[in-house]
Amino acid sequence: MVQYLLRRLLVAVPMLLGAMTLVFFAMRVLPGDPCVAMMGDQATSEALSDCTKNLGLNRPLAVQYADYLWRSARFDFGKSFRHGYPVSEYIGRMFPYTLVLVLASAVVAAVVGIPIGILSALKRRNPLIDYPLRIFALLGLSMPVFWLGILLLIAFSLRFDLFPLIGGGDLDGVMAMIRSGEAFSQPADFLRAVGDVLHHLVLPAFALGFTLAATVSRLSRSAMLEVISQDYIRTARAKGHDERAVVYKHALRNMMVPLLTIIGLFVAIALTGTVLTETVFTRPGLGKMLVDAITARDYPLAQGAITVFTMIIIAVNVVVDMLYAVVDPRITYR
Amino acid sequence: MAITRDAIAPELTATIAREEARQRSFGRQLRRYGPIVIGALMALAMIVVAAAAPLLAPLSPSAQFGDAVLKGPGSIARHVLGTDEFGRDLLSRVIWGARVSLEVGLISVVFGFVIGVPLGILAGVQRGRTETAIMRCADMLMAFPTLLLALIIVAALGGSLVNEMLAIGVALMPNFVRLARSLALTIREQDYILAARALGGGQLRVMARHVFPNALYALVVVATLYIATAIRTEAGLSFLGLGVPPPTPTWGNILSEGRQYIKCCPWLTTFSGLAIMLAVLAFNLVGDALRDLLDPRLRGE
Repeated sequence: MVQYLLRRLLVAVPMLLGAMTLVFFAMRVLPGDPCVAMMGDQATSEALSDCTKNLGLNRPLAVQYADYLWRSARFDFGKSFRHGYPVSEYIGRMFPYTLVLVLASAVVAAVVGIPIGILSALKRRNPLIDYPLRIFALLGLSMPVFWLGILLLIAFSLRFDLFPLIGGGDLDGVMAMIRSGEAFSQPADFLRAVGDVLHHLVLPAFALGFTLAATVSRLSRSAMLEVISQDYIRTARAKGHDERAVVYKHALRNMMVPLLTIIGLFVAIALTGTVLTETVFTRPGLGKMLVDAITARDYPLAQGAITVFTMIIIAVNVVVDMLYAVVDPRITYR
Repeated sequence: MAITRDAIAPELTATIAREEARQRSFGRQLRRYGPIVIGALMALAMIVVAAAAPLLAPLSPSAQFGDAVLKGPGSIARHVLGTDEFGRDLLSRVIWGARVSLEVGLISVVFGFVIGVPLGILAGVQRGRTETAIMRCADMLMAFPTLLLALIIVAALGGSLVNEMLAIGVALMPNFVRLARSLALTIREQDYILAARALGGGQLRVMARHVFPNALYALVVVATLYIATAIRTEAGLSFLGLGVPPPTPTWGNILSEGRQYIKCCPWLTTFSGLAIMLAVLAFNLVGDALRDLLDPRLRGE
């Protein structure tokens, strides 16, 4: 097991390296100078060359690359060109926003998607149930999250004024209150701040969650179909168990393995979804940070964001692989 | 006297006849072929709209009407779907936007297919180190979700029609590599491949003349589904401002520009988004239905 874990991590290293290399060179081949992007077209040539020197962009590309890799290995992604403060700090501040969004949308997607998937697998012979469910899945799969987001904003923020139009609430403040212990000394303030964060979270989480629910329902549907066609299900039925026991005791438990695969896929899809969701809801977070950094040619920030994205995806995949062995003792790792 | 089934079990015959009638019944046929017909019609409509955009669009997509800035649908007879902040006709822009979506959708899938499928077949037929090398690279790319990978590439190359096709094509490619390999792995064990080799067919000939044609059907079905993915990704990139730059109308950038005016003018975002959804839905329907017909076991996957 430990050996397997080590090997998985070793495989993850070239993956991460590949991703980082891709990002590094991608950011540099593009036309457009970060200094010009920062200082505008009117900047004098001295100012520009000063800026280039300060950012270390006048060094040979190979040196910049080696420097970048070496620093990244120590979680030092440099300083944001635009904001001046360290990228890791920036990422640390944005991460909680994205995390709560992914978690909240995961809850929505699971609560909506998994029962729908299972139901549509079990009732696939009944067109009155199967058909609407399949249409729902197709609609969710085809609906771009940014459009759904805008529709929700038009309906619930503008028309009924139930939810805020932009922002993510003061999650920074909530985190600070937890760290300082204020959360316990002044629970009323803390709860109000948490409530505000949740208030900002409802629409984005629903938009992202709904589009993901379609994917989740399809995946859990096919997982259920696979399990239900196994011999042990037939055996259970043949033994005379009623359908409920078959589903809960035999099918659902064996769905854990495919379900884990779903979770692994889900994190990757959800993280990408945050890029669009955070942009449409003008919500702080890693995804919006990445898009802003790319638009502003803020190399270190964009590199840092993508490196973190890749790390999360790889880490989740490794963890999911490990969990397979936990939920299904037949799977062992050599 | 010959013993007929009727003589033994008349009720069985009746059951079979009833079952056959059920299979033939209109409802059954509709359930089976309805989605594919609807999807195909929608996709066809989109292709026609994109191809005939200059004929169908009532006005030029870039013409600015100073007297009709941000007018709602129907408030001026000339502008059926209303106008944007420059007084441009939304209907015409949405019609022209179909071009970009469809071009990117089709060409990027073709690109991913043309690069990915030969690599996948090579990996599946050749096995050994070639396979390991190809699959490792494909797995590495697969770790990135499509939009994220396309985003990185397009950020590097800059937003333009060709770059977008390239970026989405590369992002889709590993999917084709994987599928082509798994198909090739099955096909290479078939007797006709053995026969082809026995007749002196070289590796390249076997791959091109025997493995590829036998994998083609499944590959094309899945490619249809990836057109939907490509269109959605294109819209996403455009929405983020990383796609084809304005003033060329794309559904994504119409939506993105319209976002500033959702308070007064929700029609801008509503119709462009609706266009994206219908287009993606069309190709999803066709791809789904084709796959069901091809292999019922893959249903709903």
